[in-house]
Amino acid sequence: MSDGMTHEAATEALEALALDALDASERAAVLAHVAGCAECQRELAALERTVSELALATSPLPMAPARRDRIRARLMARAAADRAFDAPLADAPIADAPLAKAPLADAPPPPDIVPLHPVRRGMDMSTWMAMAAGIIAIIGMGGYLRVRGERDAMRGSLQVAQAERGAQVATVDSLRASLEEKDRMIANLTGAQVAVMTLASPSPTSPTGRMFWDKAHDAWTLVAHRVPMPKSGRTYQLWLMTPTAKINAGTFMPTPNGEVMMRATMPMSTDSLAGVAVTEEPMGGSPQPTTAPMMVALAR
Amino acid sequence: MNPSPTALPYLESGREDAALVRAMADGDDRALGALYDRWQGIVHGVVARILRQPNDIEDIVEETFWQAWRQASRFDPARGAVQTWLLTIARSRALDRARAIRRRRESPIEGDDGEVVVQQVAPDDPGLDAEAAERRRVVTAALAQLPAEQREVLELGYYGGLSQSEIAERTGQPLGTVKTRMRLAMQKLRSQLQILRSEGEP
Repeated sequence: MSDGMTHEAATEALEALALDALDASERAAVLAHVAGCAECQRELAALERTVSELALATSPLPMAPARRDRIRARLMARAAADRAFDAPLADAPIADAPLAKAPLADAPPPPDIVPLHPVRRGMDMSTWMAMAAGIIAIIGMGGYLRVRGERDAMRGSLQVAQAERGAQVATVDSLRASLEEKDRMIANLTGAQVAVMTLASPSPTSPTGRMFWDKAHDAWTLVAHRVPMPKSGRTYQLWLMTPTAKINAGTFMPTPNGEVMMRATMPMSTDSLAGVAVTEEPMGGSPQPTTAPMMVALAR
Repeated sequence: MNPSPTALPYLESGREDAALVRAMADGDDRALGALYDRWQGIVHGVVARILRQPNDIEDIVEETFWQAWRQASRFDPARGAVQTWLLTIARSRALDRARAIRRRRESPIEGDDGEVVVQQVAPDDPGLDAEAAERRRVVTAALAQLPAEQREVLELGYYGGLSQSEIAERTGQPLGTVKTRMRLAMQKLRSQLQILRSEGEP
């Protein structure tokens, strides 16, 4: 289609081009003309300004407070982590691609495992852990926890926890659970002995998740967003990893909105946790993971 | 839980938004929070006009501000207001998502329940400052002057992310008619905005 659209024909299509409403082939032809035509470029710039002003006519629509606060908390956590991870922000691309190229200094080189494929049953621990480390290196979330942004990231996690707490309290209320239950939940998320781990995921829906480990009560609370429904007949399973074992911590399903709030009670000595992971398993769960983790965090 | 925006000194100035974006470019995450508090409602409004699923809407609102954070250093005040910039990001991200959903479903149109998107003449929002409210009044007035059939074509392109032939398919109008209506609508809107803009300026 590059065989010469006339100036007149291109001029007549500029409005639709500015709106991004041209069909692909016509768009290419018009763009080819505009590239060499100063008049059309000026015209297009003016029309694009008109298009950008159109949005101003849309009515503001208030968000539910829980959602508004949840988005804010995630943004602030991401910004704090981002600031800590690479201070010069100028011209940083939106995608996290550069992070993906920065393997952790002391982690094994990331295996070629993105996108995830099911792995054979009975894979040995070192392979599985290397895979987990690889995912974190690929996602680039492990690194910033080690640098000076640690405190900021924790602060961000706490904001998320607080937003989640709001949502959780509402849910618990509706179930007429006791005040005691709520207090315990809040303690599990925000108590003095709570460690927070951020889970990374190579899944295309970019799930985000945090594990709150309340060491004082052996309580584990997984909070995750944007978790896709597992395939039919499958479920998610949570694993607590030690250097020698992957401990089954139960199965869970996300809500249709992709939200997860999953709790488990499991004693664990502080220095034996190597990480936590989530895999997709057949309904009812598996004694040992049979697929590569879809979300994972390594303990530091 | 949210830091009070008035605690930030740069909010005292008249060029609040631009100052916030400069602070974001310098890595000040409080400025991102302030920008979010200020504009989340209207960004949500735009995104919710384009997408139907609460999950997608929540995602895209977050991604809009995230992109603003990452690209803050590239914002050029000479090319338009912060608000316009944000809403352009919001529309573009939301349309990308809507098109991806459409492709995945292999159904012709997202949320295609026969509903025709009708632009309401929006009331002034008391939460906006005078300058933003004025910009909004100008655009709303310009849109209100378009004939209904031109406005429909414009909105299916603008909020629906539909191409001209998709609009023709959806409305049952000949493609040539759709093209003409879209063109006329844009031209009128453009000249209205220019007139109203120059009236509003000293």
